[in-house]
Amino acid sequence: MSAPMDRRRFLTGAALGGATIVGASALGALDAEAAYASTRSTLDPGVIESAFAEGRIGAIQGALLVVAGSWGETHKVQLTNATSVWKLRPTSAKEIEIGDGMYGRGVRMPDGTIAADAVWVNIVNLECTVAGIAADRLQLAHDKHAVLGRLIAGTTVASYNGGALTSDLSRLKIGQAVRVLGAWRPADDSVDVAQLTVAA
Amino acid sequence: MAGLLLGVLLGWTGWLKLTAPAAESSALVELLHDTRLVRRALRTLGAVELAVAAGLLGGLAAAGWAAAALGVGFLGYLAWARAVAPDASCGCASARHTPVTARSFGRAGLVVLAGSWAAVGRPWWTVEPLAAAVTAAAGLALVLALSADLDHLWLLPLRRARLRLLGHPLSTSDGGNPVAASVQLLESSLAWESAAGVVRSALLESWDDAGWRFLRFAGVAAGRPVTVVFALAAESTVDTVTDPVVRVTVVDDERQEVVGDLLPLVR
Repeated sequence: MSAPMDRRRFLTGAALGGATIVGASALGALDAEAAYASTRSTLDPGVIESAFAEGRIGAIQGALLVVAGSWGETHKVQLTNATSVWKLRPTSAKEIEIGDGMYGRGVRMPDGTIAADAVWVNIVNLECTVAGIAADRLQLAHDKHAVLGRLIAGTTVASYNGGALTSDLSRLKIGQAVRVLGAWRPADDSVDVAQLTVAA
Repeated sequence: MAGLLLGVLLGWTGWLKLTAPAAESSALVELLHDTRLVRRALRTLGAVELAVAAGLLGGLAAAGWAAAALGVGFLGYLAWARAVAPDASCGCASARHTPVTARSFGRAGLVVLAGSWAAVGRPWWTVEPLAAAVTAAAGLALVLALSADLDHLWLLPLRRARLRLLGHPLSTSDGGNPVAASVQLLESSLAWESAAGVVRSALLESWDDAGWRFLRFAGVAAGRPVTVVFALAAESTVDTVTDPVVRVTVVDDERQEVVGDLLPLVR
């Protein structure tokens, strides 16, 4: 058996042997959606202060991303094997390309680099109106700009009225207001859609 | 016939510019740097368009040439706006925000053609009724097709009708509970709250085994790198469960052993 599968089996056993916690909480997300929310406040004062970086990746030096920030600044973002990488879905650092946009959260090191806990690549979050529906794509209007949203089978999910995320996209309607969370494709300026949030 | 159509079109756009100039979003702001000046410029242009429209409806050949000249001016303005302010509104036909696209150019080109036609053609009221009706319908269709600001009047209803007739192209579900739904449930759980001080990464990977779904995160506990694994029923979502049942364990990455008593809410 391969090492990752071995590790998975070990973690499967460990998790099932772990403590069971029952109950709900309103703490909320650490995930891609939260990347756009305000800085997450932690409940624990002992927890390390987070640093944030955002911009376009100009160079990749091994596991170091050199990022040109939107305000003219330069970020150096160090990836480790504990860094989560999101590019439409959880993936590995190998998927990151020069020219991609990124948003990252991590811890600032004494030399100024950010040791990344989580990196979201090409993430966009757009308030849109559904202008057209086809089998593999949505025509979206964002502030009157046309945006092509690509629907990815097995990945694109939707939430209606605050309900659970589902792969059921049949309830989308033309004219509906939707929040689109997805990965922008620099090559053709379309958006691979990860999540659609429909208010009504 | 062109005189009537163009007269109505210019009368309409001129009236909109005169009464409700969309100064804030117009590309002219880049040139004039003052929304007051832009509003005055748009109002002046609106008045000119109304005058030309009146001339066209009155059958003046000079008004046809004036309209064609306006069209050439629009083309130049659009080319310039596209170059300096691609995100600005063209402000051509209404207060709606409509970026400059190929359709805007098509409409300005149409003004040039129709203006020239009105200048050299017969007065519109001498055209036979049938030919007039056909030309009017074709002209109207062309203007609608070239006007992004009018899509809500015909394109969206047309697409809605097609969905009603041909059915919705998107399936109800492609089977299985998506991982995103499990993450959503986890994030509303007490287990997530109790692990908040430990988890640092977003979702690293997930896998299913024997009805359970496992979600792996990286974190830091007592200054040491750890792996946090949550396990929950693979099919549960926030729609089916109000008090999520989550098993959670923390594994020290270097020692490869389970760390106990780290989570404050675990008793």
